[in-house]
Order: sequence, then structure tokens, then C-alpha cells
Amino acid sequence: MVAQFLRLKLTLLANNFRRGPGQLAGMVIGLLYGLGLAAVVTAGLGALRLATPDIARVILIVFGAIVVLAFLLLPLAFGVDDTIDPRKFTLFGIKTGRLALSLVIAGAVSVPALVVTIFSIAQVVTWSRGTVPVLFSLLAAVLIVPTCVLGARVSAGLAAAFFSSRRSRDASGIVLVLVLAIAAPLVALGATTDWQAQGLPVVRRIAAVVSWTPFGAAWSAPGDAALGRLDIAWIKIAIAVAFLLVLWFVWRALVADMLVRPQRETAPGHYAGLGWFERLPATPLGAIAARSLSYWGRDARYRVSLAVIPIVPIVMVVALLIAGVPAGFIVWLPVPIMCLFLGWTVHNDIAYDSSAFWAHVSADTKGTDDRWGRIVPALLVGIPLVLVGSFTSVLVVGDYSIFPGLVGLSLCVLLVALGISSVISAGFPYPAVHPGDSPFAQPQAAGTSGPVIQSLSFLVAIVLSSPVVVLVFFFPALPSVQYLGLGLGAVVGIGALVGGVYWGGHIVDRRAPELLAFTLQN
Amino acid sequence: MPEAAVVEAKPARPAKPRGKQKSGKELFPDVAAGKKGSTTVLSVRGLTKSFDDKLAVDRIDLEVKVGAFYGIVGPNGAGKTTTLSMITGLLRPDSGTVVVNGSDVWTDTVQAKRMMGVLPDRLRLFDRLTGGQLLYYAGVLRGLDNAVVRERTADLAHAFGLEESLGRLVSDYSAGMTKKIALAAAMIHSPRLLVLDEPFESVDPVSAATVTQILKKYVSAGGTVVLSSHSMDLVQRICDHVAVVVRGEILADGTMAEVRNGQTLEERFVELAGGRTTVEGLEWLHSFSD
Repeated sequence: MVAQFLRLKLTLLANNFRRGPGQLAGMVIGLLYGLGLAAVVTAGLGALRLATPDIARVILIVFGAIVVLAFLLLPLAFGVDDTIDPRKFTLFGIKTGRLALSLVIAGAVSVPALVVTIFSIAQVVTWSRGTVPVLFSLLAAVLIVPTCVLGARVSAGLAAAFFSSRRSRDASGIVLVLVLAIAAPLVALGATTDWQAQGLPVVRRIAAVVSWTPFGAAWSAPGDAALGRLDIAWIKIAIAVAFLLVLWFVWRALVADMLVRPQRETAPGHYAGLGWFERLPATPLGAIAARSLSYWGRDARYRVSLAVIPIVPIVMVVALLIAGVPAGFIVWLPVPIMCLFLGWTVHNDIAYDSSAFWAHVSADTKGTDDRWGRIVPALLVGIPLVLVGSFTSVLVVGDYSIFPGLVGLSLCVLLVALGISSVISAGFPYPAVHPGDSPFAQPQAAGTSGPVIQSLSFLVAIVLSSPVVVLVFFFPALPSVQYLGLGLGAVVGIGALVGGVYWGGHIVDRRAPELLAFTLQN
Repeated sequence: MPEAAVVEAKPARPAKPRGKQKSGKELFPDVAAGKKGSTTVLSVRGLTKSFDDKLAVDRIDLEVKVGAFYGIVGPNGAGKTTTLSMITGLLRPDSGTVVVNGSDVWTDTVQAKRMMGVLPDRLRLFDRLTGGQLLYYAGVLRGLDNAVVRERTADLAHAFGLEESLGRLVSDYSAGMTKKIALAAAMIHSPRLLVLDEPFESVDPVSAATVTQILKKYVSAGGTVVLSSHSMDLVQRICDHVAVVVRGEILADGTMAEVRNGQTLEERFVELAGGRTTVEGLEWLHSFSD
């Protein structure tokens, strides 16, 4: 049974390699990245062999706890490879215990599991300074690997049990974004702490607590043994064994539960009236705009890209302030960057429709109607953002003279980015996450074209907006240069927007069936 | 009986002759004479499409008269969906023409598409819209004004039994309801020709009866329906014309009586498609493993 599951998992892995050069490259990069990381860490852990037992112990505890927590938490946020989801074996009539065990062992065939195995071997090297520590480190290694593998399966199983319905999965995406938003200032705080002076005491304090938790216990046992505290080492091992047993029973219960319970359903909600469709004119353009607005509100893929927009400039501003960049320069960044991302939200909009795009093809919708309709939401959000954001920015730095220039630059970036998106989404669509899938899932046919197109469209937007930057920054002495910047920004922006919409519309008119065929392929 | 003679079926497994097949089309007399007029509403000539050197549709000719209820049947992978996609302008053919009521779908696109209502198979809908929004969207994209769309939405919802569901997201619909709302969206601009790909798949018998009734009413009012289906019984019951498509070619077409030739449609179909009548092997299935 176990052998069959291993063979199944290996076949699934091998099939990944057959799916095309993009998949192959992705797998190879993932593997190299994992192995590279493992190599660096292994070298570090090997070097710890020369450190005093005390220091090696606290560093290993904190590091090990982070590794275990990563295995437990990351599946919650990002989902996990569900090719061997227990549900898929419902109909085979395999005994629950054997199925649970087989699935865990098959799940161990993965890059993360390989990496953690290497770590746990490296920690044996760290403690190769006496028979007793080596014995304990071997025991720890035997506990750490199954704890991580099993922990990841349990988290994924719990996530599937509680987040599997569409609505709550939408919610989980938002939760992750919020966590990132909170984490950003913490990281900034961490970056500013004087680690050289206070680092070790901080690690020591963390280790003292973590070593008694299931996450750090196994990592701590060899160190305790090396320091001669054998009784404590045995207690830590007992904690680790108990945790592993708990994980096993939870996993077994989860598998048993998943085998008999179908996917969770949520009670469908009810919407009165036609929403945005009532507020916009009954023309193809108005209807497409209303449809886009409804999707921005309801579709997690749009909501996540929108939620990220305010985070990027916050992180950037914090980082630059810490680096000592003057506020008079930083004030030019947040609003234009938010505008850039906002305009960029719609750069793969047809792929987001997936094959539902047939409705436009079948109705022979005019390309320009399609293009304008899709950017209406971005304009409705973007124009107030430009005005309010610019005003807030100048208010914070107290320099009202730059207000027109800042509005000009932000407007220019927004409109240019929307114009480019209009062309890109029609001319160079790339595979996107399917409607209803988790916004953090990888598109099923991930190619290499995505990142190239993304960075290229960013670059073009920046290049096209640069005249305004050049004018405002390099000719500050010109009379009423700020108003010139506003005018130039508006002219360049409107020109790029209208040009992009008509060019993109022309592509849609000419290649609508081919675009539909593209959405069907991925 | 000249008609029975003209509908000639190819042998079940032709030895792949690449020459021009003489299927019934050219000889096809106006069988609908005496029914609704003889105007052609859909004319397909030499439609061909291949995917990566694999020929999916091989020079298909079709002639559909006004008021026909035309069924296209064929085994899985016969090219039914490919053919209908090319007819509706969703897939560009390699060669061949499609003319709807005098307008070529691939050159006079605006006119031709306006006259067609389309229900594709296995394409998504904008399913984060509610049922009501989806119908409104379909209607307005087709150029209807606000008042007309709202009136027809109410009528269609009543006819299809979807009144209670207009306020729910289409993604929460069952498969059968999704089919019905898509069908309603295809009809909202009162097209001359309805092209429906598998309209009865995953629709329950009660809803199927409703849909059939609506379509029959539409046909009796002068509309024309072209549909594809796996269900031979259903096609035999509701269609008056039928074409049998196998491996991208039309093996037989004509009125239902001509094609059936005294058999049930299912028997005739299996005969034409060259299905195996006796299942051999699988003896182990007669003894159970536990």
C-alpha cells in the first residue's frame, strides 16, 4: 500500500516534468532554490559545531522553531499541493489508518520535506562532539522530519476543512493580506534593532520559552544533553514525541472525517436588485463597467490585488525613512506608486474572465467598449485617490507648492498604466488564476510569459511617465513648473490612455476568437 | 419514394477516402416544403478545422431552413462542439463559409451575430453576477434598452422557473439551473436562429420538458433551432431534422424520417457510427472480488 502511494506521488512528480518547458523550469528552479537554501543553512549549522554548546543550542532552537512553524502555518495561507488529497481516495475502500499513513509518507516526497531532512542531518553534525549529544541529535532528527511533514498535512487538512468553501477562502486571502500589512512594520522594527549589541540576549530569551514548546523541544534536546542536563533533555524528547502523537491522531481523525464528509457548502446569499447595473447606463460600455465593478467587489482575485496597493508604498516609505532619505523626496513616491499598481490591476483582465469572455465574442462587442468598460472601476477609484492622496501627501510634508505637480505625476502614471493595461490584456494575455480559485493559487498552466509581461508593462509605464518626473525634478527653477507638470501629466496620460484603449480595442476586434481560444487553453 | 433514396449513408467505417464525399446535402430536396417556407436561415459550406494536424471537422456542409428544429448527433469527440463554435463565430475555421440569413459570420460579423442566440458547451459564464444581472448583461451587450431587458428578464425567468433565483450568484446555481439561465441569456435578444450545444445535458426531466416546450413555441413562431445532443431519444422526439456527425464528417442528414429509415434514431446512429454491438472480454466481471 505505502509503496503504491509512493509510486503514485513519484508519477505525479514525473508528470510535472512532462507538462512543458515552463513547468520543468519552475520545478528545477524550485528544487535548486530549496537545495541552495539547504546548502547555505547546512554550512551554517556545520559551522555551529565550533561554537560553544550554549550558543549553538539557542540558535538551533530559534531556527528550528521557525522551520516547524513554517511547515504548520504556510499551508494555511498558501494552500498545499492537493494531488493526494484524502478525499480522492474515498471510493477505494482503504482502511483509514493505512490511508493516513500512506498519505503522509507519500507527502514526504517533496522539496520542503527534502530540505528539512537535510537540516535535521546538519543538526547532527552540529552536535557531533560526544556520544550522548550525537545520540540525542539522531533521536531529534527522527522526530523532526515526521513532525514537519505531518504538521503540514494537518494544517492543510484543517485549512481544507474550514476554508474550503468559496466565501471563506475569499476571506482567507484577505486575512493573509492583513497579516502582511501588520508584519511590514514589525519587519521594519526588526531591521532597525541593533542586533550586534542586543541580538544574542534577545535570541536567548526567545529560546528559553520556545524550547519548552512542541516547536523547539526536539531541537533543544541535544543541546541540553551536551550541557549535561540529561533529565531536561529527556523531557524535551517526551514533549516532541507527544506532539508527534497528537499530530498523528489529529491527522487520522481528519482523514476519517474527510472520507465521509463532502465539501462544505455555504448558504448562498441573496442580492436584491441589479446593483451597479442600475446605476450605469444601459449600453454595452455601461454594462461592462458595471460587470467589472461587481467583480472588483465580489471576486477575491481583484480584492487581493486592491488590498496590496496601499501596502507597497507603506513598506517603501518606511524603508526609505529608515535609510535616511529626506521627506521632500519621499513625498513624490506613495501616490504615484499606488496609481501604478492600480492601473496595472487590469493588465490581464481577459485572462481573468476565463472562457466567460465568449459572451463578448458572441455579442460582437466593440473592442473599445470592452476596453473602456474594464478600466472604469480603476478610474472611479483612481481619480479620487490622486486628488485625496496628493493632498494628504503635501499636507504631511507641509509643502503645498508641489500639489499641482504631484497631481500631474500621479494622474499621468494612472492613465498611462491603464492605457498600457488595455493593450497588454488584449495583446499579451497570460494564464491567470481561474475564477473561484484561491487568489494565491498558481495558475494551472503557469508559463514563463507572465513575469516577463508584468515587468515589461511596469517598465513601459515608468518610461512613459518620466517626462513629468524630468520636468519637475530637473527644472525646478522654471516659472510655475508645478502647473506645467500638471498640464504635461494630464496630456501624456490622456494621450496614452486613449491610444491604449483604441489600440487594445482594435486587437480585440481583430482577434476576439483567438483570445477566446487562449482562455480555453489555460 | 425519391426521398428515401437520396439520403444515402456512408458505410459505417469508410476506408478514409479523401475525395469529395457525396453526402445527402446537394441532393437534399426541400423536405420542409409544405411546412414553413423554404428560405435557408443557416448555410454552411465546406467548414474545416484541424487542431495540430488532427482534423476535427472535415468539410462539413449544412443547410437549415427557417422553422427547422435541427438536431446534430454524434459520438464524443465527433466535432459537434467544434462545428457549432465555428457556426457561432467563437472559433475561426480553417476554411469554409457560414452564412446566417444572408450574412457571412466571418465577414459580415455584426449582422450575422445579431441574428444568432448562442449556448456554448463547457464555457464559463460571468458567474459572479446574479442571475438577473447576467440576463441584463446579455441583453444590454446585444443592444437592448433598459426597459426591454427588464421586461424580458421577468418573462424568461417566469418561463424557465427561475424567478426565485434571479437574486443569487450564478456560481451558486446547480448545473441544471446554470444551463437554464444560459439558455435564457441566449434567447433574450429574440434571435432568428438559436444554436445550442448540449442544451439538455445535466438538466432534470422536468426542466427538460419546460425547455423543450419553450423551444417548440419559439420554432412555431418562426424561429429556428440547431442543437447538439447525446440523447437520441430526445432528439428523435423533438427534432424534425437531424444530422449524424462522426469523426468530423456528416454521415447522414435530412428529415428525421429519412435518416431513421424505419429504425429508431439510436439504432440508426449506432449503425452509422459503427459501434460494436457485442461486448467481448470482461468475463472476470461476472465473478465478484469480495
